[in-house]
Amino acid sequence: MIGTNPKSGPTPPEGGVLAAPKKTLFQENWSLFRKNRLAMVGLIIFVIFFIIAAASVFLTSGRDPIFDPALVRLQEKLRPPLAKPKLETLKPEEVPKLGIYLFGTDDLGRDVFSRMLQGAWVSLTVGFVAVGIAVVIGVFLGGIAGYYGNKRIQVGHLLSPILLIGGVIGLVYGQTGEGLFLVLLGLGVALLLLFHWNERGGQRIPAGLSILFVNLFSVDLLIIGLIDIMLCFPSFFLILTVVALLPASIYNIMIVIGLTSWMGAARFVRAEFLSLREQDFVTAARALGVSNWRIIFRHMVPNAMAPVLVSATIGIANAILIEAALSFLGFGVPPPHATWGNILSKGKSFIFDAPWLTFVPGFAVLIVVLAFNLFGEGLRDVLNPKLKERH
Amino acid sequence: MLAFLGRSLIQKIITLFFVSVISFLIIHLAPGEPSQIDPLNPKFTQEVLERFRKQFHLDEPLYKQYYIFYRDLLTGKSVSWKDSRPVLGKIYERFLNSLPLFILGTLITWTLSFPVGIPAAIRRGSLYDRTTTFLAYLLISIPGFFFAYILIIFVVSRFHVPVIGMETFGLSSKGWQFLMDRVWHLLLPSILGAAGGIAVLSRYVRSQMLEVESQDYVRTARAKGLPADKVHYKHALRNALLPFVTMFGLILPGLIGGSVIIESIFSWPGMGRMAYEAILARDYPVILTVNFISAILVLIGTFISDLLYMVVDPRIRL
Amino acid sequence: MRWILITVPTLLILFLLQSYIWVPTYEEQTRGNPERLSEYIDASIGDAQILNPILSADSASSAIESKVFEGLIDRDEDLNFRGRLATHWEIFEEAYFYVNNDAWIPNLGRADAEGVARFLREAIRTRKQGDDPVSRPLGNIEKVEVLPAKTFEVLKQEKDAGGKAVTVTIRVAAPPRIRFVLKEVDQELFRHLSQLLGREYFSSFDGTRFIGVYPEAFSRKRVVYGRELLPATEHNPVIVFHLRPNVQFHDGHVFDAYDVEFTYEAIMNPRNLSPRIADYEPVKAVEILDPLTVRIVYKDLYSPAFSTWAMGILPAHLLNADALREEAKRRGMDPETFSLRQSELTRKPIGCGPFRFREWKSDQYIVLDRFEDYWEGPPNYRKYTFRIVPDLLTQEMEFYAGTVDSYGARPHQVERLRKDPAYQSFTGLSLGYTYIGYNMRREPFKDPRVRKALGMAIDVDKIITYVLYGQGERITGPFPKQTDFYNHAIKPLPYDPDGALRLLAEAGWIRGTDGWLERNGKRLQFTLITNQANPIREDILAIAQDSWKQIGIDVRTDVLEWAVFIQERVNKFDFDALVLGWGMGIDPDLYQIWHSSQTGPNQLNFVAFENQEADDLIIKIRQEYDHKRQVAYCHLLHEIIAGEHPYTFLFVGKWTAVLDKRIVIKDVDPDGTVRYSRIRPTKIGSYTFHFNKWIKLTEVPRFELEG
Repeated sequence: MIGTNPKSGPTPPEGGVLAAPKKTLFQENWSLFRKNRLAMVGLIIFVIFFIIAAASVFLTSGRDPIFDPALVRLQEKLRPPLAKPKLETLKPEEVPKLGIYLFGTDDLGRDVFSRMLQGAWVSLTVGFVAVGIAVVIGVFLGGIAGYYGNKRIQVGHLLSPILLIGGVIGLVYGQTGEGLFLVLLGLGVALLLLFHWNERGGQRIPAGLSILFVNLFSVDLLIIGLIDIMLCFPSFFLILTVVALLPASIYNIMIVIGLTSWMGAARFVRAEFLSLREQDFVTAARALGVSNWRIIFRHMVPNAMAPVLVSATIGIANAILIEAALSFLGFGVPPPHATWGNILSKGKSFIFDAPWLTFVPGFAVLIVVLAFNLFGEGLRDVLNPKLKERH
Repeated sequence: MLAFLGRSLIQKIITLFFVSVISFLIIHLAPGEPSQIDPLNPKFTQEVLERFRKQFHLDEPLYKQYYIFYRDLLTGKSVSWKDSRPVLGKIYERFLNSLPLFILGTLITWTLSFPVGIPAAIRRGSLYDRTTTFLAYLLISIPGFFFAYILIIFVVSRFHVPVIGMETFGLSSKGWQFLMDRVWHLLLPSILGAAGGIAVLSRYVRSQMLEVESQDYVRTARAKGLPADKVHYKHALRNALLPFVTMFGLILPGLIGGSVIIESIFSWPGMGRMAYEAILARDYPVILTVNFISAILVLIGTFISDLLYMVVDPRIRL
Repeated sequence: MRWILITVPTLLILFLLQSYIWVPTYEEQTRGNPERLSEYIDASIGDAQILNPILSADSASSAIESKVFEGLIDRDEDLNFRGRLATHWEIFEEAYFYVNNDAWIPNLGRADAEGVARFLREAIRTRKQGDDPVSRPLGNIEKVEVLPAKTFEVLKQEKDAGGKAVTVTIRVAAPPRIRFVLKEVDQELFRHLSQLLGREYFSSFDGTRFIGVYPEAFSRKRVVYGRELLPATEHNPVIVFHLRPNVQFHDGHVFDAYDVEFTYEAIMNPRNLSPRIADYEPVKAVEILDPLTVRIVYKDLYSPAFSTWAMGILPAHLLNADALREEAKRRGMDPETFSLRQSELTRKPIGCGPFRFREWKSDQYIVLDRFEDYWEGPPNYRKYTFRIVPDLLTQEMEFYAGTVDSYGARPHQVERLRKDPAYQSFTGLSLGYTYIGYNMRREPFKDPRVRKALGMAIDVDKIITYVLYGQGERITGPFPKQTDFYNHAIKPLPYDPDGALRLLAEAGWIRGTDGWLERNGKRLQFTLITNQANPIREDILAIAQDSWKQIGIDVRTDVLEWAVFIQERVNKFDFDALVLGWGMGIDPDLYQIWHSSQTGPNQLNFVAFENQEADDLIIKIRQEYDHKRQVAYCHLLHEIIAGEHPYTFLFVGKWTAVLDKRIVIKDVDPDGTVRYSRIRPTKIGSYTFHFNKWIKLTEVPRFELEG
């Protein structure tokens, strides 16, 4: 069934006694989702991971944490997982809390289990925030390009953001006079455009200002141009440059990875929208007077999400691995703070002496990614009108 | 159609210009000087540093440097700062090395992804589907160098044949044996490069097939009593292939890429390593030229992509 | 359709897999290939850049250049200089001083040039056999000469008050000068002579009144010009090299003094942008006395100068101005802008060394053949190959398989490889050391007690045992440990956290309630940084941070990319403490690292170490030509620096090279008997010293009765 209108159940017969139980959209989707067992497993694993990660922030920080990720015990280096500590060589506060090295130790004798806990929050957030940013930007831009493709950009549309940005830069650098002037000019142009746009038809534009309304190129071309520019830069190189310039904080890395990986999603969404736009259900919705935004987000996006979900799942693993590569090159979260990425990259030199340094974080990433994949597929089945089996 | 082509072409050229400016700015804004000028090397006095800067035109204003660089690039005169060899010559040499790797890798990826992904979609939820899902995500989650080392160690200890480099060291360079030797050396690095690609591409294939399989017309075909093979491969597959036709265009930029890690591990003198070392040494002419060429390839790639999409899907009105 | 999807990939895979059948196995490559024995294969992580010894700055290029080029001298097994392209040499000095007409000479009074000369000659004649502090230097003087007064003009570029460039003419009416020719270089000469000529004789000489400046505006600079153009005393050390006759370049051309002169001029030519200019800056002139004798005069005392002549000599006939012009024309390039760097010879070098260049495939390998007409006799290996294998693990595997002949073992592999009967291994100390440097411009590092305490809190022996797997040794001072200059009497800092706490308490740092050390309410906190791509330094970072945390110091750490590290932090002095290392040469000149004048931006004394006594010693060392005296000064300097703790000196790493055990040294006696002996490392651990005599046998030899 295409087009949804779940609030209408079967009409009650005269007498009004027989009424099907009313469910909200969310409840209905949720019960459908619940039926998919694998998807539920995915979700549960997910939630567990997040709880552990959040708890770990407390368990591993402070001067004398419960699980100490930074405690160096050189004599216990490279012990395998589940190894018993050599109690004679350790001071009492150095003995691991669980009595054994659950995931082994790294090359400085630090407990890998504690380090994995410390890294959990950071690595999970890197993955999800980066991919989240990428998906949001990608879907948004791709959708606009696909749907509004033919709309023309006018001179004023370009001019006003340029003026605004120029003004802000001016203000930041201390040229308050010029800065303020540019900002006001930019706002003025924007207002003009707004007025004209809102009161279509009839209003006469003052002579000189008509230049602001000259059509340039289409929205589609603009957004494709933007995508192309971003695609031209090998993303790792971009990430490397920016990370080298900005202070090495985990948030900067997340944002940068997100800002450089939205292009794939955008292209997919745009392509799907271009074909969906001509389909009957869209024409029908427009004829019914449904607003543009609603058409885009309520009706078209769910149809276009399939490839985006796949790339999102892959993107999470990718983001965590990029963080590993960055810490391998020395950027990324500064030591001694552990992330799954830097445990992994340290493990490269010890691949034969201590393979668990690669396996443990690798499997952790694998489980997260699998969980998200199952969850995502369940979500897609629920949301995708084409796949739904409604009674 | 023609109007679209014309507009697209102009837009791509403008994009190219922007890319050239942005990449130029990024290089010059990144900290670090070209490694000929290493300030911590006690042999470099202030004077020598100044002279180096002058020779590389680093003391001139940015827009002038931009002009000088692109003029040299377009006339083919630009020279690498590391070893004074012409940049285009260097790139071409490495390109020839990377090309077979790239071709083989792409071939393997595309020919294997479909046979892997399609049955997974057809038999959704089966053991085959779950196994391939698990393997695919395993390949994506565990870093490439791990598999590279495992493979190399396995082949070398079991079969006692060399795997690194472009050819067996010290082999005479003629005849069928030489050709096959080259193919062998290509095999392992291509497999590794393709492994990741197969994992990703087969996921997309599966996802697209799933979408298409649930369409009404497929249900109709099945209801009509058509044999399963015809339903899947004749009707469903053709429509599912649509987005992949457009992905073809995007393979192009891979020509000038190359994984640094795989090339290092296999001692393969390819583009990836050259670009990485150029970045570390801040060899601006090489970096900017590689960037420029890759930008051109990306733009051609997306152009072809869009074109193919328009041709192949009648529903699209641009 | 379905069959296409299945058959195409299957066929492809089958085709690819069958190529395995054709590939020769390792066995066939090594044991089955007799040519393999006469070839030595080396592996390197990076490719060479420029094969020209005066232009290159990376280790891969140096490795090739050391085989293709030859220098005038190098060092032998005991680190003494030995002649290569030079057979022998003399080092002496020419010294000058201006006659000071106003000074009062004891026992003589005021004297003019002739008078002073006569006085000195008389003193030499009568006292040169004597043994007192004045007679010995006199005995060193071979000749006393009077240089007459002369007038000359010097042009200088200056800037006037408005910043405009002005050419200033300086007229110098130089008074007569006395010239000494000394047998040996003597940096104390004038100090001793002032006992004879009067303590004020040299110091009271003022050249200002001999200077005329035009235009008038710059007259105030007469004093400066005077000191610069008319120095009271001047030392000009001289080296005369006698060159080996009948040495050929690889193209047959005979080597002579003109090649030496050309090499020097090429280095100094600003167009060539040679990184070695600074080494040859002190050279005043290179004179050719005859085709086999070169005389090099220096502007001032500078003892590291001699070792610079190990530089590979370039073929003048292929690289001088005429030759370059020819090449430019031949290749269709502009002769005016064509420089040494663009010559083909940077990719296809020609020198006098034991191996001649054959081929270079970029980023793959470089092949050298042995040079049959090498002056010392051709090397035993027929071919030398330099393979580029960027990954250490694959290098290791190629070594095990036998397609690479030597391998630099990593610390955790050393024990295992040393015991392996198929290989022989050599270990030596590296030339250099690793340290933690403290920015002494900042609190709390201004206090030497704090610096010492920080050093005592780290268990360096444990780092050496566990991080370096025992492949390192402790050091206490700034000289390479394996040289004479290192003072072995200085003891390393003990690992004593309690002692450290006591020292810190003395300096005012007491543990607060939260466990951290504090003083006046401020916590002891700083940041330790290092560069990335160096796992050992990163480990040190973590260990130091943890060790200091144990005694209550809050240390943050940061790892930065090399360029950012150097330019944004080190050069701008924006750091608290850092972990870094120095790689050094054998020469004991430490001016750039420890002298107080080198504390400016972009200079190497970035910790701001300033000690007057140390400064004096540093200058004395670089002006001292006598080895024993140099060693004495160095030991003293070592003691001072160790006592001040500007660094926490950590360790010097050991390197281990592993070779196939079948490689031995082959000597042929004059009567034709062939003798094989085991390779032995030199005093500083260099095992490749006799490389030209190496050969690989088909089996592991058994050496009998190795004493």
